[in-house]
Amino acid sequence: MFDVKALLDEIKASPFRKIIITAPHTGRVNFTSVQPGERVTGPQGLWKEKPGTLLATLDRERNPKPILALEKGELETLYLDLEGCFVEAGTPLAVVRHYMTRTEVQNELLKKTLHLFTAPERAKYYFTPEIDKKVRASGSQSVTVHEGMELFIMSRMKREVPLHYAGPTGAIYTVYVEPSASTDAGQPLIGVCPPDQLTAIQEAVMQVQTEWKEEA
Amino acid sequence: MSQDFAITDHKVLVANRGEIAMRIMRACHKLGVAFTAIYTAADAASGHVRLAQEIGGEKSLYRVSSYHDANELMAVADDALCTALHPGYGFFAEDYRFARRVTKRERRMIFIGPSWKIIRELGDKINTKRLARSLEVPTVPGSDRPVYDEMEAERIARTVFEFQLQQGIKHPLVLVKASAGGGGMGIEEVYDIDNFRSVYRRIRNYAMRQFKDEGVLIEQRITDFNHLEVQIVSDRSGKQPVHFGTRNCSIQSTGLQKRVEVAPGFSSRDLSYSFDADKVLDDIVAYSLTMARKVGYDNVGTWEWIVTRDGSPFLMEVNTRIQVENGVSARISRVRDNADVDLLAEQIRIGLGEPLGYSQEDIATEGVGIEYRLIAEDPDNRFTPWSGSIEQFHWKEQPWLKVHTHVPTDMVYEIPSDFDPNLALAIIWGKDLEEARQRGVSFLDDLCLTGKSATGEPLKSNINFLRANTERILRF
Repeated sequence: MFDVKALLDEIKASPFRKIIITAPHTGRVNFTSVQPGERVTGPQGLWKEKPGTLLATLDRERNPKPILALEKGELETLYLDLEGCFVEAGTPLAVVRHYMTRTEVQNELLKKTLHLFTAPERAKYYFTPEIDKKVRASGSQSVTVHEGMELFIMSRMKREVPLHYAGPTGAIYTVYVEPSASTDAGQPLIGVCPPDQLTAIQEAVMQVQTEWKEEA
Repeated sequence: MSQDFAITDHKVLVANRGEIAMRIMRACHKLGVAFTAIYTAADAASGHVRLAQEIGGEKSLYRVSSYHDANELMAVADDALCTALHPGYGFFAEDYRFARRVTKRERRMIFIGPSWKIIRELGDKINTKRLARSLEVPTVPGSDRPVYDEMEAERIARTVFEFQLQQGIKHPLVLVKASAGGGGMGIEEVYDIDNFRSVYRRIRNYAMRQFKDEGVLIEQRITDFNHLEVQIVSDRSGKQPVHFGTRNCSIQSTGLQKRVEVAPGFSSRDLSYSFDADKVLDDIVAYSLTMARKVGYDNVGTWEWIVTRDGSPFLMEVNTRIQVENGVSARISRVRDNADVDLLAEQIRIGLGEPLGYSQEDIATEGVGIEYRLIAEDPDNRFTPWSGSIEQFHWKEQPWLKVHTHVPTDMVYEIPSDFDPNLALAIIWGKDLEEARQRGVSFLDDLCLTGKSATGEPLKSNINFLRANTERILRF
């Protein structure tokens, strides 16, 4: 089993990550009054229904798109020289220095403890209709996967081929794949928890919950 | 706008990627028309990006989030002050709502393609079928609208099966295809009515995922046929359409996607057919022109035909756009003895409002043209796309050869997984079929194409498939 304490110590040594906020599409940028150095918040609420701090708007075809902070932290950089400019998709607009949350640490931990079934190549991945129905109805942990099971439809270059699961039998503990988004080769699609490791993983998650102190 | 502007006053947004974007840029450059190109992050290494940087002027290249996002295209067009938009093929090329938006928005632009009303009328396979039937143009039996109901779909399939049995066809087949699909995608055959429902559901689900529309068409599957095309060109008057001959696109992958295109469509001079091949070509040209005149067709377009072994033609569909294979028709064409025919340049010129300036009598053809589609795929495994990096790609330059490619030949190129792994189009000309075939094989023999996948496996391509099929070009 993975050494949870060692991982926590490793993250505690460097608990920040930089989040670069880029233009999701083209448009004309207008920054708000938020200034570099100020604190920003990410989405909040039970369902993350309250949006993060508004950093800028990106106006395209008369539709102003709010550019929001994705996580809380310190606004490290704001590319104010782009004010009023038409920018290309992917242009960096801001950088937020973010202290990792308990959930993020937990996800890091799970990635190192679960059996990760990874994407064999860059493609879009969808659960097969039967699995998808079950995941939607009862959650991913209701699905037990086993070697050779037809689990995903791999869609790339407009072709679709079935992808069979390879790995230990277990429940789908975490779903990493996002429908309609391309996943790079080697990136995890799902994290599988074999039945004999379930207790250990739940204990590890509990350890993170109690030991990781979130930023105030 | 077109009446007030000389074409050199225009600026064209090239709303596409890869080799077609490059051909559009080159055509604009040749005509003295400015352009703006676009690319996505996945396409940063594509040759079309480099070409835009090399020959484009001010504001000639923008990175966008997606080629499928109409708002991106409009926003870039406005910032770059484009006055026209060329959709290429695929993406928005046959989307009448998009074409209408381009021409009706506050800052109007010219859509370089047929008018949106014509795209709406002919771009819809069902409307096309209805129009063709009204003009007594033969069409394939089957549904004349997209079907969304499973019971209705099965009823139509049953009728089409029964119709074939009545015709004496021993092994009737029904084709189920996504109504919103194209290019051979989302098509399956049904051999037995008992299997129909499972195939129908699979295609419906595929159509929903890929095209966000679960409408399905059901048609008789004609198995023993040649796939022919007629290239139509008409200026904005829509009154005097001309044709640039026929093409034969019968050499396809198992997924019914074209791999080799040949112009002209048959060659009775070189081969014998069990029917009057010249008459068939004349008939499909005449039918196509009749329909083009009827609707006032006003740009380039392709009428696609099935020709059965007994020489019966059936209209499949009209592609209201430039085709991948336009170059092979151009290669064998002469306009007033000028051999440098460029159908993309013609499309842009007439699209921007210039009159065609010649008639059918001025157009002649000479020789045989072959177009090979070089694709990274595995023909031995149902033409499965291959993904990886191209390491070496070069060929021997010849006066009878044109290669269109967006793959850089001086650096390693990773094939983006978001698109088909098309690498290049090679167009070969010969004075007759035999010479064209010999030159085709010679080109393929000399071609150097290597690469490897992320796991180190060597590149898979269709070169051997193309070589093996060159012998049967234009044979029925």
